[in-house]
Amino acid sequence: MTRRVLVTGADGYLGLRTVQRLLAETDDRLVLSVRAADRTELADKKSRLERETGTTAHRRVEVVPADLTEDAPLAGVATDLACIVHAAARTNFDIGRDTARRVNADATARVAEFAAACPRLDRFLFLSTLVSVGCRTGDIAETVTEGDVEHANHYEWSKEQAERRLAERFAHLPWSIARLSTIVADDDTGRVTQYNAFHNTLKMLFYGLLSLMPGLPDTPLYLATAEFTARGIVRLTRPETVGGVYHLAPSPDEAVPLGDVMNTVFDIFERDPAFVRRRLLRPEFCDLGTFAFMVDATRGLGASPAAGALRSVAPFSEQMFRPKRFDNSRLRASWPDAPAASGLPLVAATCATLVGTRWGRNPAPNGVTPDAVPQ
Amino acid sequence: MKSTYLQDLAFSLGAIGGSVKDAEREGLLRSSADDLAAAGFDRHHRCPPDETAYDLARAAVTGLDVADGVDAIIYSTCLPGNGSVGDPAAFAADRDVKHLMEFPASRLQADFGLGSAVVFGLSQQGCTGMLGALRLADALLARESGWSRVLCVAADRFPADAVYEQSYNLISDGAAACVVSAAPPGLRLVAAHQITNGGLHAATDDESVGTFFSYVPRLVRDCLSRAGLTIGDIDWVVPQNTNHNAWQILARLLGVDPSKVWQKSLPETAHAISADNIINLKSLRNAGRIRPGERILLVMAGHGLNWQAVVLEATEGLA
Ligand SMILES: NC(=O)c1ccc[n+]([C@@H]2O[C@H](COP(=O)([O-])OP(=O)(O)OC[C@H]3O[C@@H](n4cnc5c(N)ncnc54)[C@H](OP(=O)(O)O)[C@@H]3O)[C@@H](O)[C@H]2O)c1
Repeated sequence: MTRRVLVTGADGYLGLRTVQRLLAETDDRLVLSVRAADRTELADKKSRLERETGTTAHRRVEVVPADLTEDAPLAGVATDLACIVHAAARTNFDIGRDTARRVNADATARVAEFAAACPRLDRFLFLSTLVSVGCRTGDIAETVTEGDVEHANHYEWSKEQAERRLAERFAHLPWSIARLSTIVADDDTGRVTQYNAFHNTLKMLFYGLLSLMPGLPDTPLYLATAEFTARGIVRLTRPETVGGVYHLAPSPDEAVPLGDVMNTVFDIFERDPAFVRRRLLRPEFCDLGTFAFMVDATRGLGASPAAGALRSVAPFSEQMFRPKRFDNSRLRASWPDAPAASGLPLVAATCATLVGTRWGRNPAPNGVTPDAVPQ
Repeated sequence: MKSTYLQDLAFSLGAIGGSVKDAEREGLLRSSADDLAAAGFDRHHRCPPDETAYDLARAAVTGLDVADGVDAIIYSTCLPGNGSVGDPAAFAADRDVKHLMEFPASRLQADFGLGSAVVFGLSQQGCTGMLGALRLADALLARESGWSRVLCVAADRFPADAVYEQSYNLISDGAAACVVSAAPPGLRLVAAHQITNGGLHAATDDESVGTFFSYVPRLVRDCLSRAGLTIGDIDWVVPQNTNHNAWQILARLLGVDPSKVWQKSLPETAHAISADNIINLKSLRNAGRIRPGERILLVMAGHGLNWQAVVLEATEGLA
C-alpha cells in the first residue's frame, strides 16, 4: 500500500533533496509542509517546489503551509501518515536562545504531538546534528545524550533539547533521530548551493580577514555531501529500518583532521593567481582563550569585515577543541551499502568550487546559481 | 661584524593636543570615540596649520646632542608628501618640479650645521620607516670604516582634512630621532628583519588587521632566529601604538608575558606613525626599567605592507 509521508521544512536545503529522493526511489505520496507568511509566499514556495520536483510529481505531492511555532500547525493535514521527516529548523549557529527553543525544540515537540495522533505512523524521523552532543569529547555512541552537557551555542543546545523531549515524552512514538554531519557540498563534485559556517570560514581565510584558526590540528571534522545525507535519510524512513539514534555521518576513520583540512584548503587557494599574489600566510592555530579574547577585542571594530569574520567563526570555535569519535555502527548495519565518505578530496573539490565562483558571486562553470550568497 | 649602538632618543608631537572625544566631535574619526577608547586611546596630537612635518623633525633633533656632527642622516617619512619641504603652490605657478624636490634631510643638515653628513631618504616603508632607518644605519656603519655616527629621523604629519584614524587606530602627527653610533654605550643592535608583501600594497584596513596576526609572529620568529635567539631571550617588547588588545593577543601567540610589552605611551600619544617605537623605548628607559644585558624587541607593521623588527641589547652605561 502506498505510504503517505510528511516532510517539514520541505523547501529547505535538505528537505528538498529528501523529497526529490523519495519521489525518485519510492512510490510514497508526499505532504510537504512549508513556512509561509502569506499567500504570495506560499504560492512562490509551491511553484519553486513544483519546479524542483518535476512536472510528473504533482499527483504525488501536496504542499501545506505550516508555521511550526504556532499552535496545532498541522491540524489541516490528514493523520493517515506512515512517516514524518521533521527537517524544519533554524540552522544558523548564532541563533538566540529563545528563537532556538521556539523553532527547534518546542516546534519539534509540536510535530511529535501531531505524530502521536497518526495511528498508522511507523516512523518519525527527526533531523538533528552531531553537535547536539555538545562539548563532550571522545567516543560518542548512537544513543540519546544523558546527564548535563555544555554546548558551544544555542543551536546545538536546542537540538539536544528536541532529542531529549522525543526520547522522554514521546517514547511511545516510533522515532528515529538522524544526527547529521556538516554538509559542505551537494555531491562529490564539490558543487555548493547552500552556504554555511564552513564555507564562510574559508571565505574569510581566502580574503585575509582571518589569520588565526581556533582549534587543535588533530580535531576530526565530519564532513558530508547532501547527496549522501539525503540518501541516508530516505533509508531511515523505510519501515524495515529499526528506530533509534543514528550518526548519519562518515565513520571516525573517514573523518578528516582540522589541520589536514586547512592544508588542503590552502593547497587549493594557492592555485589561484590572485591569492598567490597576495601572499597570505596559512593561519596559525590558537587556543580558545586567545580566540575568545580576540573576538571580544574586535567588538570595537564595529561593522568591520574582519570583526564580522571572527564573530561568524566564534559560535562553533569551541567544537574545534573538542575532538569526538562518532560511532556509526548502527547506521552501517542499517545501511550496509552506504557510500564511503570522500574526506579530503571532497574538501578539495568544494574549495575549488568556492574559489572558482568566488563564493557564488561568479557563475559556476555548470551555470549553477547558489541559493544564498553569504554576506 | 662591527657592532652598532642606539644612543640618544628624542621625539616631538603636533602642538594641538586633544581627546579622542574631541577628535570624534571634529569629524576626524571613522570609528566611534568609545571604540577607540576601548582600544586604549585617550588623547592625540595634531599639527596646527602652520606646523609642518619638517618642524616636527627639527624639534625632535633639537632634543639630541649632535653638536659633534654625524656622518649621515637617514630621513624617513611614511607619507611621501612629507619627503619634500617645497611649496606645491610654487610648482603650480611655474610648473618647475624643483619645487617638489626640496628635501628635508638636506635642510636639516644645513639647519643643524651637520655639513659632513650625507643624506638618505626612506619613503616607502610606511610606519616601519624608523626601524628601516636603524637597519640602514647599522649596515652603513659596518661598511663605511671612517664613519662613527648616523642620525636617524622619522617625521610625519597628516594633510589638512585627513581622517586621523588608520586601521582602527587613532593617529598623532609626530617625529622621532636617534643616533646610531659605532661605539658604545647604548643599546647594541643585535638583529634587524623586514618582510615586505607587495601583494598587499593596496591593503584595506581589514586586510591590514587580518594579516597582522599571521605576519607579525612570522616576523618575530624570523628576526629572533637570525639573532640565534628565542622568545624566552627577550626581556621587553616595545611595539607600535596600535590597538592595545592586538598586542595582548600577540603576546599570547608568541608566548610573551603581557607585562613585558611596553606600550605605555599609547593612551597619551596615540599612533605617532613611525615614531612609536622610539617614544615607547624612551619611556621604558626613563622608567629605569632597562638593565644591562637585557634584550628588547622593537616591532612595527606598516603600509606596503611592511613589517620590521629590531632586537637591541642594553650595554653598561646606557646613554
Ligand atoms: N545543512 C547542514 O549542514 C545540516 C547539518 C546538521 C544538521 N542539519 C539539520 O538538518 C535539517 C535541515 O537543514 P537544512 O540545511 O535543510 O536547513 P534549511 O535549508 O535552513 O531549511 C530549514 C527549513 O526549515 C524551515 N523553517 C524554519 N522555521 C520554521 C518554522 N517556524 N516553521 C516551519 N518551517 C520552518 C525553513 O523555512 P524558511 O526558509 O521559510 O524559514 C526551511 O524550509 C535541520 O533540522 C538542521 O538542523 C543540517
